Amino acid sequence: MKLTERIYKRRTYFDGGIGTLLQKAGLPSGEMPENWNLTHPDVLRDIHLAYMNAGANVITSNTFGANCLKFDNLETMIPAAFAAMQEAKALFDGERSSVYLAFDMGPLGKMLEPLGDFPFEQAVECFAKSVRIAETCGFDLILIETMSDLYETKAAVLAAKENSTLPVFVTNAYDETGHLLTGANVASVVATLESLGVQALGANCSLGPQQMVDIARQYLEHASLPVIINPNAGVPRVENGHTVFDVDAQAFSLIMREIAQLGVQALGGCCGTTPEFIRLLLQKTADVPFSAPQKKETTVISSYTHAVTFGKKAVVIGERINPTGKPKLKDALRRGDLDYLVREGIAQQESGAEVLDVNVGLAEIDETATLVKTVKELQSVLNLPLQIDTVRASALEQALRIYNGKPLINSVNAKQKSMDTVFPLMQKYGGAVIALTIGEDGIPATAEGRCALAKTIIDEAARYGIDKKDIIVDPLCMAVSSDDNAGRVTLDAIRLIKRMGVKTCLGVSNISFALPDRPAVTAAFLAMALENGLDCAILNPCSDEIMRTLRACVMLAGNDAHCEDYIAFAAAHPRAAVSASAAPQTQKKDELPELMYAIVKGLSAKAAAAAQELLEKEDALQVIETQIIPALNLVGERFEKGVLFLPQLLMSAESANAAFSVAAQKLPQSEESRDRVLLATVQGDIHDIGKNIVKVLLQSYGFEVLDLGKDVPPQKVLEAALQYDVRLVGLSALMTTTLDSMQETVALLRERAPQVQTLVGGAVLTQDYADLIGATYYAKDAMQSVHFAKRVFGR
Amino acid sequence: MSEVFLSVGNAQTIRINRREAARYLGYRGVLAPDAEALFDVCERELRAVAAPRAVWRTSPVQSDEALVTFSFCKVESAALAKNLSGCKKAFVFAATLGAGVDRAMLRLQKTDPAKAAVFDALASAAVEGWCNEVNEALSQGRQTCPRFSPGYGGVALRHQADLLQFLDAQRKLGITLSETFFMSPVKSVTAVIGIRRDEDETH
Repeated sequence: MKLTERIYKRRTYFDGGIGTLLQKAGLPSGEMPENWNLTHPDVLRDIHLAYMNAGANVITSNTFGANCLKFDNLETMIPAAFAAMQEAKALFDGERSSVYLAFDMGPLGKMLEPLGDFPFEQAVECFAKSVRIAETCGFDLILIETMSDLYETKAAVLAAKENSTLPVFVTNAYDETGHLLTGANVASVVATLESLGVQALGANCSLGPQQMVDIARQYLEHASLPVIINPNAGVPRVENGHTVFDVDAQAFSLIMREIAQLGVQALGGCCGTTPEFIRLLLQKTADVPFSAPQKKETTVISSYTHAVTFGKKAVVIGERINPTGKPKLKDALRRGDLDYLVREGIAQQESGAEVLDVNVGLAEIDETATLVKTVKELQSVLNLPLQIDTVRASALEQALRIYNGKPLINSVNAKQKSMDTVFPLMQKYGGAVIALTIGEDGIPATAEGRCALAKTIIDEAARYGIDKKDIIVDPLCMAVSSDDNAGRVTLDAIRLIKRMGVKTCLGVSNISFALPDRPAVTAAFLAMALENGLDCAILNPCSDEIMRTLRACVMLAGNDAHCEDYIAFAAAHPRAAVSASAAPQTQKKDELPELMYAIVKGLSAKAAAAAQELLEKEDALQVIETQIIPALNLVGERFEKGVLFLPQLLMSAESANAAFSVAAQKLPQSEESRDRVLLATVQGDIHDIGKNIVKVLLQSYGFEVLDLGKDVPPQKVLEAALQYDVRLVGLSALMTTTLDSMQETVALLRERAPQVQTLVGGAVLTQDYADLIGATYYAKDAMQSVHFAKRVFGR
Repeated sequence: MSEVFLSVGNAQTIRINRREAARYLGYRGVLAPDAEALFDVCERELRAVAAPRAVWRTSPVQSDEALVTFSFCKVESAALAKNLSGCKKAFVFAATLGAGVDRAMLRLQKTDPAKAAVFDALASAAVEGWCNEVNEALSQGRQTCPRFSPGYGGVALRHQADLLQFLDAQRKLGITLSETFFMSPVKSVTAVIGIRRDEDETH
């Protein structure tokens, strides 16, 4: 019987730890255990055989760290590891057909971007190298284990799927709070991995069997696939001043019995467990009846921290990251200013969005590259699941690939071409999809017509093995101003489609197009749609009117315990009426004009408003020169005198920035007008807080900053300096280990772009070092970099 | 019994020396009330995302003039040899505030640079405070030397890799190292603490 069949029918046992046994056999501290595949194959053969004799079905290879970052002899090492297992199996005189040999892959030991410096695709390639070798050996499955980062897990799964036809089992390692070390909870791991098409999943290592009981319970609650639980024998630790030690084989097996009774399909051990643990485990669980995996019908998507489930209460999908009808966002996209998009995302999250739609389709930009960059930026600072919104297949594929979690796709429709494009990508990368009821002849006028198209889509998806729980139908709404029945038809369609057992979604704001007081109409329609069973709505979460209605509806439907969410929302969003210009300003203002005062005090909103007011009387350049810059200078002087400190300086800079961007809109637009500074943290350096501080200050003085980010190779700095015709390049380095990289960058610029002046700074830099490497200027703090920039541009 | 011990701290109670954090930012003297308020907000956010954890393990150690020999590596450093002179054993340890702090930093840098600066300084103070807490627990009933970290006293940063491997810190704490020896999560520390005399051994 194949393992993938067996695991649905009988309890399957995994082997236990290898490391402890190797140490007992004489592996010296500091030597890599994988080397023993080549030097001590007999020891490994005996370990594998001992586990087979103990009753383990799945035997794992001694290749936990066998990746190209640690070894350059994988071509011989991995086959040697397999040979030892095969030899053990040949010697095994039990039932060989129920022994399966797993190729084991552990983490690479590198933190992936954005938290670390290791690129996602490079991780995929590292795993792929090992998988390609393993594929030729004759293993029965690939076991990806002890993964404590969801993104790296995805990289390993993709590598396995793209380079092998073997079944892929995955077990992750959790901390004492039930999260992976980079934050994912069980629900999000399960959603992501099931969607990527692994064959079984679960948890290993972590803290010990007792802590694993609750994790096992969570897996069983969320997973449709077989669940594997391989705890270690415990980590000695200090809890409330008491030292807690490992459990022994006896205690281990008793807890594992409890886990078996929960209904877990596969059990085994990890660090510190031995064949004796596995033997007792079999003995103690022999009479526990086997339970088959329970398929779950929930519609769920996830980010890299948590899952969002559809069906309980309406899910809010924020629509604002979309250039349609938004000139500022269009402008930001053209300039490549992704920070603007990120701030849009954060504002929506703070307003209550649970999922963010991401659409960057604009004729004049490279949509694929921009979408990938935007998704990466968003998922580096926002933990909401994303809805990838594009009609371009290449953009969709690349975005799905680098997405960290289980995404929502916007969208597929009933046209054959659309389904032929979207479903193969979903099949490979997973995700749930918004299905629009648009057919070859457009949008049907009747609810029944739209329902029929929904069925077409569901049936076609099934051909790809895509479950209908991953399809969320959007029956579309037309403007009621152009068709009296527009609202009615859509509401009927929602009800009919719900009867087919799928979830529904609507972009609600269309309904009120061309009508007065649109929010009122949209909000009423939303309320009606929710009452007809709508599961999620794509809307503007920053609109009070709509969110107020949504909260009220959720509460009235009985989904808001003690009315808490509604009350909190109402408290945070009082009805506008009285306040506005009520309280007159009574503070003393150091005799400063309004705008200068706001900047000095670091009040961004006030600074922007004051600038707006001034611009009605004065011209923009005058406002900048007589108010914004002098206010900044004042703050700068106080900073340099030590009267005021870095956080205040930054707040003032932010406020000046806010005022400056208001004024800049009134400035004549010209390409070369602004003085351009390029900033980068040098290659190998991933700390960029210092560089970011300099950036904020330079921007506040009206410099245009091109920020290349952190860990930037010298060549890239040079290319950007030439491409954008930059006169000043600022470089930051924080540690002694990256000073060489700074030197190299400065040298390259001096050689190939001698017109460029360089400004260097960072914790370990000194004037002497700056002179030594030939940098034009050394800035000991952020203010000094402003002084120097002013000098370069003759201000 | 495995040899690596794990300690899980409480983010709500770890010590954060605010004066120290303020000093990192260049503050002198007493914090003004508005600065205090900003520090309060940042400290709350920090405690909400920090996950203080540490691992430690003992190693035999032998110090000659400028060479220190542990069971897992040799370190050339006169300063460390001096620090550990007379010790036969040392604690090797690693501590971290976890990846949640890094994520919060990434976000604050996009949304609020002033808060980002204060948050970063407080996190630096917090990881120091957490190391002190672990250090004190290890020094209970023992006579120990001052904590010593790679990057100081001529101990090459690359030795962080040896320490982390000895502690299995990647698996246990999620600490990884870049090519240039940056630790991730950023607010992480590796160190050795020499043991001069262990009360337990006198019995």
